[in-house]
Parts: sequence; structure tokens; C-alpha cells
Amino acid sequence: MILSAARRRLQSRAFADERAPEMIASRSFWADAGRRFLNNRMAVFSVGMLSLLILFSIFGNLFSRWSFEEIDWNVLGRIKEDGGPSLENGHWFGVDELGRDLYARVVQGTRTSLLVGFIAGPVSVMLGAMLGALAGYYGGRLDRTVLAAYTIWLAIPYIIFFVVWQAFFGRSMSQMILVIILVNWTAGLLIVRGQVMMLKNREFVDAARMLGMSDFKIIFRHLAPNVLWVVVIYTSIVIPEVIMMESLVSFLGVGIQEPNTSIGALLSQGASTMTFGTLWQLGFPAAIFVIAQVSLFYIGDGLRDALDPKER
Amino acid sequence: MFNYTLRRLLMVLPTLLILVIFAFYLMRLAPGGPFTSERPLPPAVMANVLERYGMDEPLHVQLWTYVSNILCCFDFGPSFSQKDRTVNDVIAQGFPVTLTYGFWSAVFVLVLGIPLGIIAALRHNGFWDYTMTGLAIFSQIFPNFVLAPLLVLLFTLSWGLLPGGGWNGGQWEYVVMPAIALGTSYMASVARLTRGSMLEVLNSPYIRTARAKGLPERTIIIRHALKPALLPTLTYMGPVFVYMITGSVFVDVFFSTGGIGQDFINGAYSRDYAILLGLAILYAVLTFALTLMVDLLYAWIDPKVRAGLS
Amino acid sequence: MQRRSFFVAALATTFLTTPAFAADVPAGVTLAEDQSFTYRILDEFSSFDPQIVEDTYGSDIVRDLFEGLYNQDADGNIVPGVALSHEASADNLTYTFTLRDNAVWSDGTPVTAGDFVYAWQRAVDPELASPYAWYMELMAIENGAAIVAGEMEPSELGVSAPDDRTLVVNLSKPLPYFTKMVTHATTFPSPKWVIEEHGAQWTRPENMVSNGAFVLEEHVPKERSVRVRNENYWDNENTVLEKVTTLVIGDDAQGLTRWRAGEVDMTDIPAGQYPALAEEFPDEAFALPRLCNYYFNFNLASGPEAFQDVRVRQALALAVDREVIVERVLQGGQFPAFNFTPAATADFEMPDIEMASMTQAERDEKARELLAEAGYGEGGEPLSFKYLYNTNEAHQQVAIVATQMWKQKLGIDVTLENQEWKVFLETRSAQNYDMARGAWCGDYNEASTFLDLLTTESGYNDAKFSNARVDELMAEAKSSSDPQPLYTEVEQIVAAEMPVIPIYHYSTNVMLSDAIQGWPMNNVEQNWYSKDLYRVAD
Repeated sequence: MILSAARRRLQSRAFADERAPEMIASRSFWADAGRRFLNNRMAVFSVGMLSLLILFSIFGNLFSRWSFEEIDWNVLGRIKEDGGPSLENGHWFGVDELGRDLYARVVQGTRTSLLVGFIAGPVSVMLGAMLGALAGYYGGRLDRTVLAAYTIWLAIPYIIFFVVWQAFFGRSMSQMILVIILVNWTAGLLIVRGQVMMLKNREFVDAARMLGMSDFKIIFRHLAPNVLWVVVIYTSIVIPEVIMMESLVSFLGVGIQEPNTSIGALLSQGASTMTFGTLWQLGFPAAIFVIAQVSLFYIGDGLRDALDPKER
Repeated sequence: MFNYTLRRLLMVLPTLLILVIFAFYLMRLAPGGPFTSERPLPPAVMANVLERYGMDEPLHVQLWTYVSNILCCFDFGPSFSQKDRTVNDVIAQGFPVTLTYGFWSAVFVLVLGIPLGIIAALRHNGFWDYTMTGLAIFSQIFPNFVLAPLLVLLFTLSWGLLPGGGWNGGQWEYVVMPAIALGTSYMASVARLTRGSMLEVLNSPYIRTARAKGLPERTIIIRHALKPALLPTLTYMGPVFVYMITGSVFVDVFFSTGGIGQDFINGAYSRDYAILLGLAILYAVLTFALTLMVDLLYAWIDPKVRAGLS
Repeated sequence: MQRRSFFVAALATTFLTTPAFAADVPAGVTLAEDQSFTYRILDEFSSFDPQIVEDTYGSDIVRDLFEGLYNQDADGNIVPGVALSHEASADNLTYTFTLRDNAVWSDGTPVTAGDFVYAWQRAVDPELASPYAWYMELMAIENGAAIVAGEMEPSELGVSAPDDRTLVVNLSKPLPYFTKMVTHATTFPSPKWVIEEHGAQWTRPENMVSNGAFVLEEHVPKERSVRVRNENYWDNENTVLEKVTTLVIGDDAQGLTRWRAGEVDMTDIPAGQYPALAEEFPDEAFALPRLCNYYFNFNLASGPEAFQDVRVRQALALAVDREVIVERVLQGGQFPAFNFTPAATADFEMPDIEMASMTQAERDEKARELLAEAGYGEGGEPLSFKYLYNTNEAHQQVAIVATQMWKQKLGIDVTLENQEWKVFLETRSAQNYDMARGAWCGDYNEASTFLDLLTTESGYNDAKFSNARVDELMAEAKSSSDPQPLYTEVEQIVAAEMPVIPIYHYSTNVMLSDAIQGWPMNNVEQNWYSKDLYRVAD
């Protein structure tokens, strides 16, 4: 009795009218989102900054007088005194502890870190979000299985995981990106699952279901836009984490190999000597990291606003 | 609700079992063992050492012994690297340490991060929003390995206010810097998530309806917006809290707190299988508890979720 | 001079010439009110159990808590500990130690020869399974190896106590440096009654009974351990320090910051910071020679074909500018090395090695010639290989600088490969590399602890170098009364064959507060005893 009454209500004209705005929003969604994003000045500016950073990492070498691996024997051993930034000897950013040109190394490191961060970060979050959405939507046994896998995965000693990986598959950039994704796929899972759990019982989802939409369509057309804000913010949190994780992975022998470097490696080297009077070794890599982070923050924020299905 | 909780709890043991089996074999795949050293042990000595730790048995027998010792006597075995101690000793001594500074760190994160996020959302694109953004970025670009030396330089070396490290049974002056160093970047993430979800909630139809009804803003925020807006943040904090109370290797090493955070890493480097397995189990149990708590929180706050779960 | 006496007066009792060593406070020095010493270590030590401890930090503590037959003085010479003297048989196979009668454990029980017998049997007992059982084998104590292998009972070990004051040790082969080895923690006595009562828990502060100048008061693993004066120690009246605290600080830079803040009296100097600190604190920054060497292994078993050519090995060795590595990269008072055994080793005369007397320009010139002769490098077959090291800042710096030198001087293309520590050890010992770093610290202060590594049978011969003459010479040296000419010949063979490239000999870089005096600066093994230290007033 009650059930059929509910169904009658859900199929009524009045209900469809009432819910229409939410559903329409999700239809003409992407075009609107693009327009809204372009109206956000900070976000557009940040996209510009990030593009500059990418250009820097690709073409920065053209302005370098040194290669990223050659040692300047003239300053080796006198880093603190003679190794600072200088226009004279062509070390724009100074040199590292071994007298290698920091500018060239920062350019090279930025390339590595952007590649790792911008591939491994978003992909991990996407994976986690997808699984989280499915678990939250279907609940029950699937949910419990995903949660069990999640728990196990968080508890696995990941250093051992990297070491085993290195022993079996060796070292390369793509191996590194792959293991980082494998370790991070849990990122965002729980939070998306929670959002979906709340949203799936909202009226507009019920309505879609009653209209005979497939689960797949419901998840991607109606639920996804409503959790995108989480995914976007989470991605901008995970990218810097991944950039730092890269230096650990490389340390364990999976990732890049000296003389190649990365922002994470440069940062930790710089930090280890920060109390010894060679602050430029921390400052320049940190500046790059800041630019990347600030840009990500505003892009993430702009995307969040733009993708909000309730914005008009 | 009771059924739901029960079903989740029933998953604990099978999950732990799978974890133990998986982690056990994974560790044995890693090159080098607990007794691999720069100076290779002569074969006869190595044989004795392996026998003493039961490592001369086939792997599945070792696994069985390990699991049955836990089930029978809650015995997680001896540590390979800290030779005078068992895994139980190591956790009993180090976990209270990380629990203490991790807890205070979490308090620091929530007490600062949530209000920052809320204020920023309420003043969207206003002065406070930009201040919060600045603070959040500031604390995220100071990874703990930069922040911790800075804290010590200021509080210990320059001002002489706090001891540079140690634990001393957990007196407050030994807890302050570890808690801040550990929490700062999470505080930034919490502020960002709270801001995002607050904006989301404030834009939702039912808050608009409430506004249209002319309810005072304060009532709207406290009565209607706050609870749902905090859910994503608390979900985020669940696993982060587990991470915090099990400590971070950096904080443990840098501040010499003696916590178990460093054992996750040192155990891996020294191939201390027993420590690693013990910690993995501890971590899994805590994760289980926290995720369940977060789910119950959802059910408590949102009646529809409650209905969905039952 | 003292060593010779073992052989000249073989049957006569050897009384150690120096008196027992203790804190030697010069007249006119005002001692500080607070006699405490706090020092920093990098990570938690392995154990307090003398027979189990296997790391330097642990051994430093065990040397304070327990006392063996002999101790070392400030120069590393042996001085009486529990034993006053010893007597060696004519064939140098039997040593009879006479123990002092006033040594007691911290619970008041007298220290007897039986405590040593118990401890030594315990060290080789397969049931205890000490990783340091190999040390007893190294000491060549009769039946030691067979007991470790489980073929004999521990009670059959060649050590006995005819009475409480006499300890008799039988060796399976004469060892000229045997008495030097009894200053090592593995040979310290252990209290049977305490171990039997408490089992593995006997090293807890509340259970432990020890016979050294200090007793354990507190131990918080990974944070601190505190030891205080042992009132029952036989030489207690000459102990000055009241309390010694060990703090675990896992970060070098943080260790230095806390040293600056006065929270620790002693800490290691972070890599590369010695010159700056020596300038800032001329009286408190020290670079002390240490019995360790650093070298590159060629994989002679399965490495690149080119490494089979001795000219290639010589060329690579010549082209490494050790001055640059030591003085401009590591900057910690290390010594450029052209031979294997560190010069600081006791009674070791440095051999004449041609390479050592050349200038670097001459070396580079010769390197190019040799490489061209061998048909590699510029104009010849291109040479490239991988250099393997474990991930660590200092190893990485040495690797980068050396490979850049080869690249620039000889046109050789070297790829670096870093691995996590245990993976590295496995890879290297399985000869899965082209060239790999190696380093060794002496087990005792005598050249054979280094040169034995180059014998065919050595477990640490990762280069898989095998030279019949070297094996023969080292076997002969074991029982020779004057092994130096043998060692010189071995070093010369190594310099000619170049299975490994010696890079430098270590130094220890420490900051030690000038309030702490009595540190044994000249002890190259860095074996120090807190009972010799004292704190002066500011």
C-alpha cells in the first residue's frame, strides 16, 4: 500500500517539476562549468602560472649555462662561501652540496615532479573515488569488501611493498608512477563513499531511479557532479603528497636515479642543510613547490565553484 | 543499525587474517632478511639464529605458528632487531607515546582547521577567505621536515622555552612541538575540506529554503549547515587520526619521542618481520574502528543514511 | 714493544706495564658540581647483553656496565680489567689469566673465573644463537666452531676455571693478537644466577646485575638509557662521573642543534660540516682517525669483461682524485687511501706504493695511457658500467664525484644505481653488480682484520679476488712473530692487481663539549670508558 503510494507520488507530474532544476543542472552541466571557470580570475591566473611552470620545466634548460650533472670544481668544497646564487659564474640559483648547478637541477627536478604529481595524483584519486562511489551506492557486501580491502591496504608496510617491487620490476619512471598509484588508490575513497551514501537517498536520485535510469547513469550523470568538489579538493591535496612521496620511492631504488633529481629530493636535501647557512638550496626548490601549490589551490577552488551543479 | 554494526564486526577477523597472510608473504619476498648484515654471518651461526627464531621451518608452518600464538596467547613474537624485547613490549612502550602526541595533534588540527574553514566559507572570497587560504598554503608548503627544524631553532635554541626533544613520560613541554609538527599540514587540508563542504551545503536547496523562510543566519548555520558540512572533514580525519596516533617516523626520529612511528620504517629497513606484522595488525584494527565510527556518525547525523544502512 | 714480549718471554708471566686506567684528573682542575655526561647516538642499540650485543652503540654501553679480562687505555693499549696478568704457553696455544680478587658484581657476589667460562660457553651456545658467535670462532678458541655448528656441547669449549682466580684458555691455533681480543664485549662475564632467574628479561634495569664501573638505572627504548656509578666496582673510588645518559636522536642536524642548546655534551658532526664547526668551536670539534677503510669493489667474477684487464683497473684507480673527495666533498679529516689497511692500525708500517707518491696530474696521465693501451676509452672501445651503492647522502656524494672524474678524464660512462640497504647487501654478495662500494671497520687493532678480507675464502671478499700468494701470506701471518713483511707484500700485490680501489680511511667527526675531559682521542678503535671521563667546572 505504502509502497504504491510512494511510487504514485514519484511518478507524478508535480514531483518531476519540483526536482527539475536539479536534473537540468546536471544535463547542460559541462558547458556552464567551463564558462563559470573562465569567469574566475584567480583560477585563470593560476592556470597561467602552472603553464609557465610547465614551460619552465621543458625549456628552462635553454637559459642554463651548466648541465644538471656537471660539477663546478671551482666551488666544490667552498659551497657555503662561493656557492650562492650568482650572475657571474652562471649559477643563477647557486649550487648544490656537490657544486652542481641548482638552476639546471631545479628545471630537471620540476619536470620529474610535475610528471609524477600530475599523473599519479589525479589517477589515484579517480580510482579511489570510483570505488568509493560504487561501495557507497550499492552498500552491502560490496561495501564491506571494499572497506576490507581498504583496511588491508592501509596497513600493508608500504616500504616493503616498494622494495619488493624494485626487486621484481626494477627501476624506471613509469614503474615509479605505477607504484605510487598502487599505494595511493585509497585516497579519497572513504570521503566519496560517504558523500554518495548521503546523496543516494535524496529525492532526485529516487526520481531518476523511478524513471528507469540505469545505476551506471545515475552514478555518473547525477551523483558524480555532486561529489566532484570533493574529488577536486582531494586531488589538490594529494598531488603535493605524491610529489613528496616520489623522493621516498626513489630513495628505495624504484624511481629516478642520480644524477637525475626531483623537487622532493631537492627539498629534502635543502632542508637537511637549512641550519648550516646554505638556505638557497632549500629556497629555490621550495619556491617552485609554492607556485605549484598555490596554483593548484586556486585551480581546485575554481573548478569546485564551476562544477557545483547548484550554481547558476 | 545493530545488525549493520554486527555485520561489519564480523568482517574484522577474516580481514585481519588476509592481511597477515598477504603481509607475511610480501615481506618474505623482499630481498635481505633480518640477519643480513654488512658482515655476513658464517653459515653455522646463521643456522642457529634462524632456528632460534623458528625461521628454519617452511613458510606456511611459520605463518601457522605466528597466527596460533596470537590466537592462543596474544603473543606477537620476539623482535628481531631489538633483541631484548618482544613485539608486545615494543608496542606497549611506544604506542602510548604516539597516542598522546597524535591525539593532541588531532585536537590541534580540528580546533584550528574547522573554524578556519567555516569562517572562510562564510566570507567566501572575502578577507578571511584569503587569510585562510594564505595560512593553509603556508602550512602545507612547510612539510614537517622543514617545519620541525624551524620550531626547534625558535623554541629551543633562540628562546629556550621548550626542550629540543625527548619524551620524559609525556610531560606537556615535550608534546607541544611533535604535535604541531605532525599536525600542521593536516590542519591545512582540514580547513580546505571544511571550507569546500560548507560552501556546498550553504548552496544546497534546503539551506536556501531555510533562508527564504527568513530564519536567522546563525540558526541556519549552527542548526542546519554545520552537521552535514562536517561529515566530509570527519571522514577525512578518520584515517588521518589512525595515522597520527600511530605516529610519524619523522616526528619520532627528529624529536626522539620513542614512539612506534619509527618502528614502521625501521622495522621495514631492518626486515624485522615480527614488528612489521604486529604493527600492521594494530594499524588495521584502528582503521577498522575509526571507519566504523565515521559510518555510525553518518547514520546518527543523517536519518536517510541510517535507513539505508539498516 | 709490549706485543713482542709475548713471544720473547713466552713462558714468563706478562704483567701489563701500565697500571689500571681510571679518570686521570690533573692537579689544579676544578671538577664540576654535577658529574654527569650526556651523549647522543643515532639509533637504538641492539642489546645490553654482552654476549648478544652486536653494534657499536650497544658495545659502548656494555663496556661501561661490564668489565672483561682487559680494558684499553687512552691509546688503545690493553690494561688490566678483571684480569691482572696472563701467561702464554711456549706454543702460544694456552693462555692462563690471573684474575683480581677484589672484583665483585653489583649485587656483591665476587667475580670469578667461572663467570667467564659461563659467558664464553654461552656466546657459542646454539641455543642462545648469538649473531656474535663468530667472534669466538675468530678468537680460535678450541672447539668453538664445532659447538656453534652443533657438533659438540658448549661445555667442551676450550676454556676452564681451575679455581676462582684462574682462567685457562686453549686455542686451536696460535693467534699473536689474542689478548687484544678480550677487550671486546662478547668476552665479558655474565651473571649465571641472574640469567637463570629472569631469562631474557635479565637485562631490564630492575633485574640486571653487572660488574662494570656503572649500573643500568633506566632504559626507555628509542629515547634514553641512564647508567649510574656502581658503588660495588673495585675501582669505584677513582670513578668521577655519577651519571651517564645516552639519548637517541636520529637526525644529525637535530643532534647538532641540541648540542648547541646544551642538551647533549657530545654528538656526531653532520656530513660536510666539520670545517665550519672547527672554525666556530676550535676546542670542541674533533676529527679522530678510525680503523675503517672505504673502497670500490670490482666484480672480478661476473663483472664487465674490461675489468679482467688489470690496466683498466689501474686506470680507474689512478683517475680518482682522492684529495678532492677527502678535502672538498667529505671534509672531515679523512685520509686519502692508496692501500687497504689504515695507517692508524697498531704496529702497521705503510707499504711503499708507487701511486701514492705521484701527483694527481701524473696519475691522470698514466691512467689515460693505461686505458689506451688496454684499448678502451677515447679512441678505443667505449667503456661503460654501473656503480652500485646503498642510498645514503655520503655514499652518493662519493659516487657522483668519482664517476664525474672518470667521465671527464677518461670518457668512461658510469651509471649510478642506488638500492635500499638490505637489497644492496644481497645484490653485492650475489655479485650482481659491475662495481660496488665497500667499507670495513676493524674487529681488533691489527692489520689482518683488514687484509683477511682479500683472501679467497673470506665471506666479505665481494670482488671475488683470488690470489694464491695472498692466501699463503695471510695464513703464514696468523702464527708469525713478525708479520709486518708479510703484510707489506700482500699490500703490494693488492696495489699491483687492484681488485679494489682504496678511496679513503675513515675519521670520526664529533662535537665534544670542553667541559668533558679524559676522552681517549688516540684510541683508533674509539673504545671509550665512562670511568675515564670527568666533567670540569666552567
